[in-house]
Amino acid sequence: MPRDERPEKGSYKKFFPPKKKFCRFCQRNVKYIDYKNVDILKRYIPDRGKISPRRVTGTCAFHQRKLAEAVKRARLLAMLPYVMD
Amino acid sequence: MRQYETGFLVSPALTDEETEAIVQQMAGVVSQKSGKMSRIEKWGKRKMAYAIKKHNEAFYVFFHYESGSDAPLELARRFRQMDTILRHLTLVKETRQNVRKKKKAGGRNRAKETAAEASAPTPAAAEAAGSEPKKHEEA
Repeated sequence: MPRDERPEKGSYKKFFPPKKKFCRFCQRNVKYIDYKNVDILKRYIPDRGKISPRRVTGTCAFHQRKLAEAVKRARLLAMLPYVMD
Repeated sequence: MRQYETGFLVSPALTDEETEAIVQQMAGVVSQKSGKMSRIEKWGKRKMAYAIKKHNEAFYVFFHYESGSDAPLELARRFRQMDTILRHLTLVKETRQNVRKKKKAGGRNRAKETAAEASAPTPAAAEAAGSEPKKHEEA
């Protein structure tokens, strides 16, 4: 897309406001994220096997910390990959 | 005594009986160290996300138990000696119920406590001040 056709930052957001993201763990009032729940953790490691950032998933800081810890533990026991290609 | 959770992967090269024997042996270690086993989870053979020692699957076992600090240490020592254990991981379970607290509420309570503490020492100090001159009189 040429530079002048590109929508301006403000106007684009004005007409297509992004959907508000929220923390899925807070919604369910989760206190502890278990590293053995691989199905839940898998939602947060797309394609490449990296942990999705907070700004993408909308997870709150508290649960992002717990989530990252759980993913790393699951990786150690080979339930989740370190890298996917 | 603390709640522990130990997970380990047994090599798929072993037969079912041999795997069962290892699990029983390790459970024996926990009870030998006067630990109380609450639950043993066996997931069975499961595909791993990456190969370990050229194995693509492993037998997943999880112990949930309560014991002193020596049981997990002994387990880890044995795991390290055995070639048939591919991986192991021990966690101390979180026992506090409400880990997350609201900041504001905590701040207010703390403020009250400090205020109470600040007011408390003054009478004691006054007493101490009062007692000191008496001693002088006695002397």
